Formats: sequence, C-alpha cells, structure tokens
Amino acid sequence: MNKLYLWGIIITAAMLGFTYYTIVLTKGGMNGDIVNMLALAGAVALVIITVFVVIKYVRQMQTDTASGELADETWDGIGEYKNELPMGWAVMFLALMVWAMWYYIIGYPVNAYSQIGEYNEDTAAHNAKFQEKYLSITGDKLVEMGESVFLADCKACHGIAADGIEGRAANLNKRLEAKTVKYVIENGSNNHLLGSEMPMPDRNGLFNTKTGALLTDAEIDAVASYVADGMSGAGANVFASTCASCHGEDGKGMEGVAPNIVEFTPTLVTNVLNHGKKGAIGGMPSFNGLNAKQKEAVGAYITSLSSTK
Amino acid sequence: MFHWLEKHPFFFAVGVFLVIAFAGLITVLPNFAQSSRPLIGAAPYSTLELAGRHLYIKNSCNACHSQLIRPFKSETDRYGHYSLSGEYAYDRPFLWGSKRTGPDLMRVGNYRTTDWHENHMKAPADVVPGSIMPAYTWMFTKLADIDTAYAEQVTVANIFSVPYNKPVPMRDGSTKIVKMGSSVEDANAMALAEAKVIAADMKDQDVKDAIAAGKIPEIVALIAYMNSLK
Amino acid sequence: MENRPLEYDYTVAKLFMFMTIVLGVVGMLIGVILAFELAFPGLNTMLGSGVAEYTSFGRLRPLHTDSIIFGFVLSGIFTSWYYIGQRVLKVSMSESKFLMFIGKLHFGLYAVGVVAIVASLLLGYTTSKEYAEFEWPIDIVVVLIWVLFGISIFGLIGIRREKSLYISIWYFIANFLGVAMLYVFNNMEIPTYFASGGHGDILHSVSMYAGTNDAMVQWWYGHNAVAFVLTVPIIAIMYYFLPKESGQAIYSYKLSLLSFWGLMFVYLWAGGHHLIYSTVPDWVQSMGSVFSVVLILPSWGSAINMLLTMKGEWQQVAASPLIKFMILASTFYMFSTLEGPIQAIKSVNAIAHFTDWIVGHVHDGALGWVGFVVIAAIYHMAPRVFKREIYSKSLMSTQFWIQTLGIVLYFTSMWIAGITQGMMWRAHDEFGNLAYSFIDTVTVLHPYYAIRGVGGLLYLVGFLMFAYNIYKTMSARPVEEYELQNASPMGA
Ligand code: HEC
Ligand code: HEC
Ligand code: HEC
Ligand code: HEM
Ligand code: HEM
Ligand SMILES: [Ca+2]
Ligand SMILES: [Ca+2]
Ligand SMILES: [Cu+2]
Repeated sequence: MNKLYLWGIIITAAMLGFTYYTIVLTKGGMNGDIVNMLALAGAVALVIITVFVVIKYVRQMQTDTASGELADETWDGIGEYKNELPMGWAVMFLALMVWAMWYYIIGYPVNAYSQIGEYNEDTAAHNAKFQEKYLSITGDKLVEMGESVFLADCKACHGIAADGIEGRAANLNKRLEAKTVKYVIENGSNNHLLGSEMPMPDRNGLFNTKTGALLTDAEIDAVASYVADGMSGAGANVFASTCASCHGEDGKGMEGVAPNIVEFTPTLVTNVLNHGKKGAIGGMPSFNGLNAKQKEAVGAYITSLSSTK
Repeated sequence: MFHWLEKHPFFFAVGVFLVIAFAGLITVLPNFAQSSRPLIGAAPYSTLELAGRHLYIKNSCNACHSQLIRPFKSETDRYGHYSLSGEYAYDRPFLWGSKRTGPDLMRVGNYRTTDWHENHMKAPADVVPGSIMPAYTWMFTKLADIDTAYAEQVTVANIFSVPYNKPVPMRDGSTKIVKMGSSVEDANAMALAEAKVIAADMKDQDVKDAIAAGKIPEIVALIAYMNSLK
Repeated sequence: MENRPLEYDYTVAKLFMFMTIVLGVVGMLIGVILAFELAFPGLNTMLGSGVAEYTSFGRLRPLHTDSIIFGFVLSGIFTSWYYIGQRVLKVSMSESKFLMFIGKLHFGLYAVGVVAIVASLLLGYTTSKEYAEFEWPIDIVVVLIWVLFGISIFGLIGIRREKSLYISIWYFIANFLGVAMLYVFNNMEIPTYFASGGHGDILHSVSMYAGTNDAMVQWWYGHNAVAFVLTVPIIAIMYYFLPKESGQAIYSYKLSLLSFWGLMFVYLWAGGHHLIYSTVPDWVQSMGSVFSVVLILPSWGSAINMLLTMKGEWQQVAASPLIKFMILASTFYMFSTLEGPIQAIKSVNAIAHFTDWIVGHVHDGALGWVGFVVIAAIYHMAPRVFKREIYSKSLMSTQFWIQTLGIVLYFTSMWIAGITQGMMWRAHDEFGNLAYSFIDTVTVLHPYYAIRGVGGLLYLVGFLMFAYNIYKTMSARPVEEYELQNASPMGA
C-alpha cells in the first residue's frame, strides 16, 4: 500500500475519532435525534471524500506524466492543454444540475415544504411522548425533574446553588430574608402570590391589634427578623397581633388570604412563575414558557431545598 | 462562442454580468412586499430604545448574539416563540447575527429584568460563572446619543412611513401609539422620562445621579432596548 | 508576435505588496487577540479598563474580518493584478501615463480608505452588516476605489497586445463586476443627518431595507462577497502562479472554461444557505441548499485543474515550499467547498449554524486557501519585483509547516467545538426539559477556544516569518541582472 493511503486513513481515523469524542461528550449522545445523525454523517463524508479524492490526484502527480495537445496561445509563457474534461467530474456536474432541476420542478416545487409544519409535527411528537411519561413522575423523581428545569432556566439568576448569587436574586434555600420582609411591610406587596390580585397593605394599613396603632420601626425590625429566622425570636408578639390574622398563627398562610411565609410551596412557586415578582431584591420575570408539569416540578425542587435543611 | 468572447472583453464582461445579475432579482424580489409587512403587535422603537439599539450595534453585540429563534423545539423551549417575519418590520438593519457565542436575545425582555442586566453588563462572570462575555463598564458613565436616535426616527417616519405618533394594532385588539418628539428637545425630554422609569429599578449610584441631573447614561438606553425585545 | 522584451512596471504592485503584508499582520494579530479573548475573557480589558471599549471583543471583531478581507486579501488581489495583468496582456504600465496615474491614485485612495476604516470601526461606527460594516462616507470612498480598479483593468485590457484573454483575466473581470454590483445594493442607506434636517451624528445612516428583506439582501451580498473576493480573484491568482512557478501547462482549457461559467452561474443562487430556518420564504432557503450542493462541482473543477497541472511533477512539490503552499491551498479549497455544501444541507445547518463549526469552515478557506495563495503569490513575485532572490528557502519551508500545523489545530478544534455546542443546544433530558443551560454550552468550549488560539498564533508566527523573509529579500541580497523565468531561484 502506498504511504499516502496510510496517511489518508490516519487523517480520516483521527477526524472520526474527534467526532466520536464529541458525541460521547454530549449528555445523551446522539439523543435519538435525526438531525444529529445527519450532521455527523455529513462530517464523516466530508473528511473521507476530500482526503481520498485528493490522494487520487496526488498519486497522479507521483506516477502519471503530463500529456496532451497544447493550445496555440501562450500567455507570459503559460501554455494550456486541450485535454478533455475529467469524466467523473463532468458526469457528476451534469447529474447534479439535473437533480437541481428535478428538485425544483418535480421533487419539491415552490412551497411544497414548510418549516413551520415540520416544527409543529416535531413538537406534537415531543409533547405526546412526555405527556405519557409525566404521569409517572412524582415524588423524588419530580424533584429531580425540577432540578433539571432549575439548572436550565433559573440558575442564570439564582445561581447554581440557588443562593441568589450574593443578593442578586432571591436565595431559594431560605424562604425569606429579613430585608425582604421589611421591604414588604414598608411597601406592601402585589405580586399575585396567591395566583390572583390580592395585595398586602403597606405599613399604613397594618395595625398592631395589641397596641391599637400602626407598626413602629422597631416593631417592623423585630417582626422581620422573626419571620426571617423561621418564626423565632423577639418579634413573636408583633406577628401574632399583626400578621397572624392573614398569614396564620404559624405563618403558613391561609387559602385565598395570604401566602405561606415560612416555607416554599409548589403553589407559591407556580404563582411566582406565572406572574413574576418585583421586590426588594429586584425583578423576577414570569416564566410562562414552562408547562404545568415543569412548574410543578421546579416548585417541588425549590420546596425541597429549604425543607430538607 | 466562448473563444470569441475571450477575444472581446466588452462582450465577455456583459456576459458575466448577465449570468451573475439575475439570480439576485429572482431570489430577492418575489416576496419583497410581503416581507415588509409588520405583524400585528409589532411597534416601532421609542427614542430611548432606538438609542439603545444603536449601542447594541456600536459594540457589535450582534457578533456574539443572534436575534432569530429557529423553529426547533429546543429553541422555542429556550427562547420562546419562533421568529416571524413581520416582527422585524421596523428593524433597520436586521440584527439576526450569524454566530451564537452568547444566547439568542430576540425575546430576552421576557425572561431577564432591568436589575439583572445591570449586574450582568457590569460584570458578566459575577452573575453567570464561566461567562466569557466582556464587561461593559464604560456604558455606566458615557452618555447615550439621543439626538441621533431622534434623527433616525424622523428619517424613517418620513421616508418609510414608519408609524410614529400613529396607532398601531396590538395582539389583544387594542392599539398602541409610539411617540416621537416634535423637536430634538422634546425627544430628549421624552427619552429622559422613559429613562427615569428604568433607572428606578437600578442600583448604580452614578447612573441614578446622572439621571437626576437630566443625563442618560448608555446603559439605561441599552437596557430599555433589551427590555423591549419580546 | 512581439519579440522586444517588455520592461514591466511594478511600482503599484510593490506598493500594494507592502500593504498586503502590513494589513496581514494587523488582521491576523487581531484574530489571535479575539481567539484568546474568547478563551480568556480577562483579555478584553488587557490595556486597562479605561480603554476597555476599544479592546473588547465586539469592537475588534469587525476590525479583524474587514482588515483581513478588505485589507490583506484585497491588497493581495490588487498586488497580483498589477503584476499579472501586465504580463498576460503583454503591455507594461509604463506605456500609459494615464494608467500609471490611475494605479497610483488607486493605491493612494485605498490607503486613505484603510485609515478611515480602522479609525471608524474602533470608534464604533458600524452598520452591523457583516463584511459591509462601513458607514456611508466610507462607502463612497470604496466605490471610488473600485471604479479606479475597474479603469485599471479595462484600461490595460484596452491597450493589450495579447488578443485573447487568459483565464486569470476572466476571473479578475468577474471579481470587479461582482463586487461592484453586490456592494452598491447592500449599502443602500440613508444618512439620517441630512434626512432629518440636521440632527444627530453626521456619519450615521439607516438601511433602506428592513428585517427579512434586509437579511435577504445582506446574505445575497455576504455569500457572494465570499465568492467574488475570497474565491474568484484567488482562483485568478492561482491560475497564473502555479503554472508559472512550476513551468507546467494548464491541464485542460475545457475544464477551466466550464468551471468558470459554472461558478458564475451557480454561485449567486446559493446565498440562501445563510438563512436556513430563518423567516425568509422556505423556497429561497431550499434554493440556497440545492445550489450549494451543485456548487461543489464548478469549485472542484478549478482545484482539480490545478492538481492535474502538476501531474507527474511530484518532485517539484517535494522540493519547493512555494509549490507546496499552492498544492495544499487547492486541497483546502476542495475541503471548504465540500464542507460548505454539507453545512448548507438543512438538517446539518440546524446543528452547524450559529456555532464554531461555521467559524472553522470560514478559516479552512481563509487560512488554508486564501492565505496560502496570497503568500505563495508574493513569494513568486518578490524576486521578480525586487530583482533579488528569496532570502531563505528553509525559513519558507519552516513557515509552511508551522502554518499548516496552525490550520490543523484551528479547524479540528472548531469542528469539535461547533458540533459539541450544536448538539448540546438541541439536547433534551429524560424529562423532556432542556438538558443544558446556555452557559453549560459555553464553558465546555474553553479548551477548544484555547487550542484554536494556539493554532491561530502559529499561523501568525508563520506570517511574521514570511514578512521577515520578504523584508530580507528586499534589502539583503544582490540585485539580479535579468528577469527570472520559471521556478523561483531560492537561496539555501
Ligand atoms: C391583610 C392581610 C395581611 C396582613 C395583615 C399581612 N399580610 Fe403579608 N401578605 C398578604 C398577602 C395577600 C400577601 C401576598 C401579596 C402578593 O401577592 O404579593 C402577603 C405577602 C407577604 C410577604 C411576601 C412573601 C414573598 O414571597 O415575597 C411577606 C414577607 C409578608 N406578607 C409578611 C407579612 C408580615 C411580616 C406581616 C405582619 C407584619 C404581614 N405580612 C401581614 C396579606 C397580609
Ligand atoms: C432574570 C432573573 C431571574 C430568573 C431567570 C429567575 N428568577 Fe426567580 N427571582 C429573581 C429575583 C430578582 C427574585 C427576587 C424578587 C424579589 O423578591 O425582590 C426572584 C424570586 C424568585 C422566587 C420568590 C422567592 C421568594 O422568596 O418569594 C421564586 C420562587 C423564584 N424566583 C423561582 C424561580 C424559578 C423557579 C426560576 C426559573 C424557572 C427563576 N426564579 C428564574 C430573578 C430571577
Ligand atoms: C464575546 C462575546 C460576547 C459579546 C461581544 C457580548 N456578549 Fe452577551 N453574552 C455572551 C455569552 C457567552 C453569554 C452567556 C453567558 C452569560 O449569560 O453571561 C452572554 C449573555 C448575554 C445576555 C443574557 C441572555 C440570557 O438569555 O441569559 C445578555 C442580555 C447579553 N449577553 C447582552 C449583551 C449585550 C447587550 C452585548 C453588547 C453590548 C453583549 N451581550 C456582548 C457573549 C457575548
Ligand atoms: C461550494 C462552496 C461553498 C459553500 C456552498 C459554502 C457554504 C457555506 C455555508 C452553508 C455557510 C454557513 C452559513 C451559516 O449557517 O451561517 C458558510 C459560511 C461561510 N463561508 Fe462558505 N461555503 C463555500 C465555500 C467557501 C469558501 C471557499 C470560503 C472562503 C474563505 C467560504 C467562506 C465562508 C465564510 C466567511 C462564511 C461565514 C459567513 C458568516 O459570517 O456567517 N466559504 N459557507
Ligand atoms: C492568525 C490567523 C487568524 C485567527 C487567529 C483568526 C481568528 C478569528 C476569530 C477568533 C474570529 C471570531 C470567531 C467568533 O466570533 O467566534 C474570526 C472570524 C473571522 N475570520 Fe479570522 N482569524 C485568522 C485569520 C483569518 C484570515 C486569514 C481570514 C480571511 C482570509 C479570516 C477571516 C475571518 C472571517 C470571515 C471571520 C468571520 C467568521 C464568521 O462570521 O462566521 N481570518 N477569526
Ligand atoms: Ca458571521
Ligand atoms: Ca455601508
Ligand atoms: Cu455562503
């Protein structure tokens, strides 16, 4: 065997090796995706065809000799043979021209293909496949699914550890920071946390039933740390006499009245995802692109973050 | 025939020109009118947004970011509804890009917020560990060029009948009017009013001070543009 | 036939040759900087945060593409024109004062354009359209430069002694006409300062086309800019220097003929492959795909013609680094003109588009084909223009291998990076959710970006060796008495 062919095989094998490595690197590999397969087939064909066609011509440089009838003209000493077209080339060119004509006139005449149609089919197939699968996803599996949603969609703001990246977004390992509670009391809140419009009044609407007066700054600080510390500490009184009427004695909220401020619940998270949120930290966009199951799952995941600790 | 052409440069050139010229006409023209039609819900850019768009172009954000969501499940999951031709009717130039070193931004206004952009533009890797996007710190001090944005609004309103100060139909059946100033001063005042709303959600003290002094830092215009991408 | 030996006048060719080398260094240096900025983003502020605006990736990227394509490559084309044109038409520039003046003016205006472009891009004046970033005043300069180039081409043809046009001239004519047509239509823009009655920045303009139409026109331009700047004139150069350097006759006139007219006809239809799965009509996209595949043949036709011209001449390839440059260039031309069509197939484009695989494709062509041909051309011209032998053949040979290694590192790393990223973007996990957030698909590329940077650096190092070699050629060796014939004589 000629040395060149050996080189050709080495180069091809190396490129194929790299390409294979690429797939191994990708989670799920080919993922059963026809597009992946075609792209790789194209990549493989590219190397093999180029390498071996070029070798064919290099062999001719090594073994053949130039011949043919020269044209009359020379330009600055450059001559020109009147050789015939290389057969393979000419046939391929003609065949591809015919194929192109066929493609446009018979195969796929104008507007015979629609990329949106293709999209609709793919999406329907995807949805059908997971519709079924979703039924069996519950419990730990649901939390796992939620983590996958979180890592794809939420970590850009909340960080990979869901800690809010030093206060840039909410720390989801903990229901509430004192700063947020204080902000809510001072400014009220209207984030559809219950799923519909149900605002919480600001400090001008919050009476301490024990003192019969509006909350003082000291009381606000106390109750804020009380809530943030997981319902413990000095603010217990204020909470009981001001907040409990809506958020319940234990702070776990009341259906349709006020949300749970002790722990995350999947419903609360779903509501945040449906409506977004704006508060002391900043703005949280709504995520209506997620489907109901994905919202439920990420809700379960976030709930699990603080409850297991 | 070819040999003859090779001896007659003029006809040779004409031949080449004919062979190369008509393909363009056949691919560009047939759908030209249809492709210029705006989709219901598409509205022109406000002065501040347009100034932001100029900054996006000035810094070649389009070198790394596309604004074209292809109709694949993976893309619509990641970025939202696939792009439709009529959504781009007011985009001069188009900014689809050809390389996604960073993510698509066609609908980034849906899933990122003012304060996030503020943090991100200042130090991308602090927000997104491993990010290779450059920081744009100078945008927090340099001032946006509102005059040029206004000049462009006037130009496109006059020449291409872009509907400024006119009701454009929205998807929910309502209409929206995007205002254009009646003079440069007016345009600057309108842009400042818009900028105030955005700066209210920001934390950078220099930006807040500038706005209070009636100046608009580049970053505010850029964020206005980012937020308008929906 | 004339027998009197002609004294060709290479004044203008020389000027453009310096420009080619200078802008090649600039463009490639910026390319290397960009490559390392992606691998190590801290470099975006390498000169301190005070001037970060001018060193950040976004500002520099158009400067790389434009200084390389319209600086290095175009200068190389002009150099070759002012050299080849006289010789294959058998007239000297010195025979026409007018054409000599036009040539010098061409260079002068071009130099002005270069300065204006570098300054304006650094300051952020760009219209964002790829390879057509320049604002309107520069467009006007570009048009003037192009008109002068046209006058030079047709002027020289007008006074030629050689009745029949050599193949290279066909391609130069096509280069001129194609770019003229494309550039004008893609740069239809309205200066807003004048249209608004004197507001804002005087350099700013707004495109005449919007949205999808703008994209159509841009990629009709963009694709064919590749055709008529990075392909057509490079073929012109190749058709002259390979037979000239090797002393071989062109393998087949018929093959030249069909490849030329085939390329002219097919190229223009393929622009749709930049817009696959976009919002342009489906039929335009399909047209782009189908014609891209057809395009393989006229492209390969020229490359095959080159390879077959060297039939039986392996000893020349083995002995001469200059011929090695050209043979490997033909090979890379074949590689990128097969890679392009494969990437133009819809399903492959679904993965490849927007990824580094495209950047890999670009540089297979740019480094392997365009860069090598321009380098080879100058290596052939320099001894004749300066009437001195090439300073060092061994340096040239080392350069060849260093640059080849650079290209291999560049395209293998981008190949892997692109396919990896394309597949990761598409992946859904077992729950039907996206498997990766965007940043996961960025961090995974780090090693490949670093390898590409090294590859690019090697290419740049090779280019600096080239610049040094040419510099020494100009200044170090004694003057040759007579004009050199085939096969560049080279020092040890
Ligand atoms: C009148 C009923 C009512 C009272 C009294 C009330 N809240 Fe609320 N609270 C709500 C409602 C309703 C919401 C949800 C508002 C929304 O959707 O944004 C809420 C939300 C909150 C939140 C925001 C949770 C989050 O995730 O952002 C906090 C914190 C909070 N309340 C704390 C308190 C504290 C502390 C008190 C007492 C000082 C208090 N609330 C008193 C009704 C009340
Ligand atoms: C653009 C940034 C951003 C993204 C993306 C984002 N968030 Fe948030 N999120 C925030 C910010 C900022 C807050 C805090 C809002 C406030 O209270 O000031 C927040 C708050 C929340 C809260 C409320 C916390 C509380 O204690 O009331 C939940 C729940 C939440 N995010 C879940 C998610 C989930 C799930 C995702 C992904 C599907 C997500 N977020 C994506 C920025 C973001
Ligand atoms: C060197 C390439 C590069 C340039 C130039 C660049 N970006 Fe980015 N951008 C990225 C990368 C990579 C990411 C993903 C990582 C991250 O979020 O930081 C990103 C992310 C973003 C995001 C977040 C989008 C999302 O969905 O998370 C926004 C918004 C953004 N960039 C805006 C801009 C703007 C505006 C500019 C120009 C002023 C710009 N970028 C310039 C590379 C770049
Ligand atoms: C048969 C010939 C060729 C075909 C069919 C072809 C096809 C393609 C395709 C499909 C793309 C990618 C479009 C995308 O998805 O973004 C592309 C990009 C590109 N190609 Fe080629 N290619 C060919 C030859 C070449 C050659 C010889 C060069 C020379 C250097 C070249 C330079 C480029 C460049 C610069 C781009 C990038 C354009 C951009 O900025 O997006 N191509 N080509
Ligand atoms: C030292 C050698 C070079 C290096 C290191 C280099 C590096 C780069 C880098 C890093 C990019 C940006 C890619 C991205 O955005 O991800 C780029 C783009 C580009 N380069 Fe180079 N380059 C080099 C030489 C060249 C040459 C010689 C040419 C042309 C003849 C060229 C033409 C281009 C083009 C057309 C693009 C734009 C590609 C696109 O938009 O798809 N480069 N280069
Ligand atoms: Ca590009
Ligand atoms: Ca222009
Ligand atoms: Cu193309």
